[in-house]
Amino acid sequence: MKDKILERCLYLAGLFAVSLSVLILFFLIYFSLPLFQPAILKNILSFEWQPLYGKFGILPMALTSIILAVLAVTIALPIGLGISCLLSSLANKGIAKIGDILIRFMTSIPTVIYGFVSIFVLIPFIRDISGKGSGFCLLSAIFVLSILILPTMVLLISDSFKSVPKSYIESSKALGFTPIQELIYIIIPYSKFGIINAVILGFGRAIGDTMIALMIAGNAAQVPYSFFDSVRTLTAQIALVLASDTESLTFKSIFASGLILFIFMLLASLSSYFIIHKKRLNQ
Amino acid sequence: MVDTKFQSDWKIHIENLCVRFGSKEVIKNTSASFSQNKINSIIGPSGSGKTTLLRAINRLNDIEENCYTSGKLFIKLEDKWHNILSNYSSPVYLRRKIGMVFQHPNPLPTTIKRNITLALKIITGLSRSEREERLINSLQQVHLWDEVKDRLKKPALILSGGQQQRLCLARTLALEPEIILLDEPTSSLDFKASKRIEQLLLELKQKYTLIVVSHSLRQTRRISDKVYVLSNGKIAQELSSIQIHDDQMFYKVAEDFF
Amino acid sequence: MKRTQTIENFLFLYCWSCGIFLITVVACLIGFLLYKSMPNIGLKLIFGDVHWYKALIGKQIVFDGIWPAMVGTFFLIILSTVISIPLGISAGIYLSEYCPANLKAMFSFFIDLLAGIPSIVMGLFGFSLVLLIHKFITPAANTCLIVSALSLAFLVLPYLIKTTQIALSSIPKESQLIGPSLGFSKLDDLWHIRLPQSTKNILSGIILSIGRCAEDTAVIMLTGVVAIGGISDSIFSKYEALPFYIFYIAAEYTSAEELARGYGASLILLTITGTLFFVSYMIRKRLEKRW
Repeated sequence: MKDKILERCLYLAGLFAVSLSVLILFFLIYFSLPLFQPAILKNILSFEWQPLYGKFGILPMALTSIILAVLAVTIALPIGLGISCLLSSLANKGIAKIGDILIRFMTSIPTVIYGFVSIFVLIPFIRDISGKGSGFCLLSAIFVLSILILPTMVLLISDSFKSVPKSYIESSKALGFTPIQELIYIIIPYSKFGIINAVILGFGRAIGDTMIALMIAGNAAQVPYSFFDSVRTLTAQIALVLASDTESLTFKSIFASGLILFIFMLLASLSSYFIIHKKRLNQ
Repeated sequence: MVDTKFQSDWKIHIENLCVRFGSKEVIKNTSASFSQNKINSIIGPSGSGKTTLLRAINRLNDIEENCYTSGKLFIKLEDKWHNILSNYSSPVYLRRKIGMVFQHPNPLPTTIKRNITLALKIITGLSRSEREERLINSLQQVHLWDEVKDRLKKPALILSGGQQQRLCLARTLALEPEIILLDEPTSSLDFKASKRIEQLLLELKQKYTLIVVSHSLRQTRRISDKVYVLSNGKIAQELSSIQIHDDQMFYKVAEDFF
Repeated sequence: MKRTQTIENFLFLYCWSCGIFLITVVACLIGFLLYKSMPNIGLKLIFGDVHWYKALIGKQIVFDGIWPAMVGTFFLIILSTVISIPLGISAGIYLSEYCPANLKAMFSFFIDLLAGIPSIVMGLFGFSLVLLIHKFITPAANTCLIVSALSLAFLVLPYLIKTTQIALSSIPKESQLIGPSLGFSKLDDLWHIRLPQSTKNILSGIILSIGRCAEDTAVIMLTGVVAIGGISDSIFSKYEALPFYIFYIAAEYTSAEELARGYGASLILLTITGTLFFVSYMIRKRLEKRW
């Protein structure tokens, strides 16, 4: 019957969507396969990227990605918590509503525009206060990236604040807690798993970002020793290297970079899953 | 083979019915028979499983995840007995023969007319004029026709609660079912609207078999031909018409179970 | 007692300063952009030295305006939307209605995984698809508009699926029972009763994912966008797009004029995504009002 065909189509669509992520992983592995020989592997997993001299170490980029993401989240978290507290309890209804729209609007601002404006506003400033370098460095990227992931984290934290059971809120109000006290002693402790989840997902978003890293961080393929060093992330690495011939090791290494990124994402997704699971068990 | 053990005035026959959701047993091995063209009321304390029992009849429980129904449930449709829990029985076709009215009126967010004609269009193969006929017929049966005939194209939500509930009833009547299941149909309505519905039910029993879950003992006394008391997942007692109207008997039941 | 009071006051001030900080940052961002780009907004920004009518009907090619990039973005959005909407909504319906309970959690995880994949990795995937076709099917295969559109469609797919799932499940419980209780088959119930009630929610999700397609740069960088390529004549050719144009200008501008075009393009892109956001928000608001 016609119904059966339609339902079969729905089933196929669902199956495709679910297997897409596995398919992507498979492709990444397939194209990185030539790299899994001891000699080449040792080359790739080293700290020197100098393709002209046959050195294809992508570890500086991996390290930069991690450092950048961790530091961006470290800055974004306290600010995000502050704003979430503001939106959920401390500000009056009107301001909270405007704030909510503003935050949501921020998520729709294109990343490339954050980058573009930062180049002409933030970079000269960093250049001046550091006294050296071009201003395109790790520090600039951390700042811009933390602003980028801030709205996402605020929305996630706000959501977990909202999911605190009404009975707790009612009893805290009945006890005469001020909004700040309610937040500190009831809402935040109760939402701790939600906040951890926001951190994990913020980290995932930060490590997966390409444009900020590409436009702001400087793109020198080195291990960062100072905040004012020009650095390159795995994501920028993929974007930069693509314009080379397809047989070279340079080229093949980008699939290794992609694979490492995928594994980071996988770990983040799994951790997020466990945290949510723990949250549900707690309730 | 199957037909012989059923009495001629039965419409629904339940044997050893068990319904559980996950590991929670709601209906625990209960049996009963419901008579044709009568108002059969199911009463019981809250949590006793009244809605689950009602929904077992049109297999609406199947929609829930992890719902397992076992036992025997026979329904006489088109003068033939069917075992509706068997694997060969299609719930979709079953539900076209059994109408259901819910506790809160839930008209579709569309016009009054379309509330009734949508189901007619999708389910029956009737022509346009036949659908119109059924529309008028069903609205007349619930005494809503005169009130809405000039505003059929208006949204159904402009009607009052009582009118909406009658519209939902008309919606099922349009499909010409044999049995109508009503789950606390007047609990969200005011006194006057409730009375109108009760009056309607007394009229409808001539054409249909009605199973009503009721929240009000008084209402049950007023309209029922037979009362089934559900307690803790089992039908603990059946009261005939005479017993219902016997004050002493009825208050004893009320005390025992509520 | 006094000490905790001071701490609480401090925290109160802290939260407010976070809020003010954020507003300042956003205001600076948008203010700066407006300040730099407003003087240049006009037909010259878009069409360069070519008359707008001639450019629209394709008679003359625009070289120093952002018109080709706007057209490219436009086609990109349309193609990726056409691919992703049926796929996303169908998959969303399958996962919320037909999926067996024991598989639901696992399937959910895979969709979340898909949602977390960085856009550059998605671009890499699109690129590797081309490599595969190049190797095994035809050496003429190359990155182009359709590859980008496909990769973008995959990028927004998990979001559309989630939106559909949430939209279907936020119909009130009793409305979900109407169809089955009348004897509608599952498909009829979905098509005639439940999907129409979820339309507004799904629509607002679609509009947001259109915005995502318009702004993404990483995916298109790896799958066929070019800095100077004019308006593509087929889906199998290279194309220009606004976000990449902005990136390219930021990296390689050689004159004040080019930079001015970069600012102008930024404002136009921001206007596009901002409008889409606004429309999506309004749709959801009107939905609440109606009920």
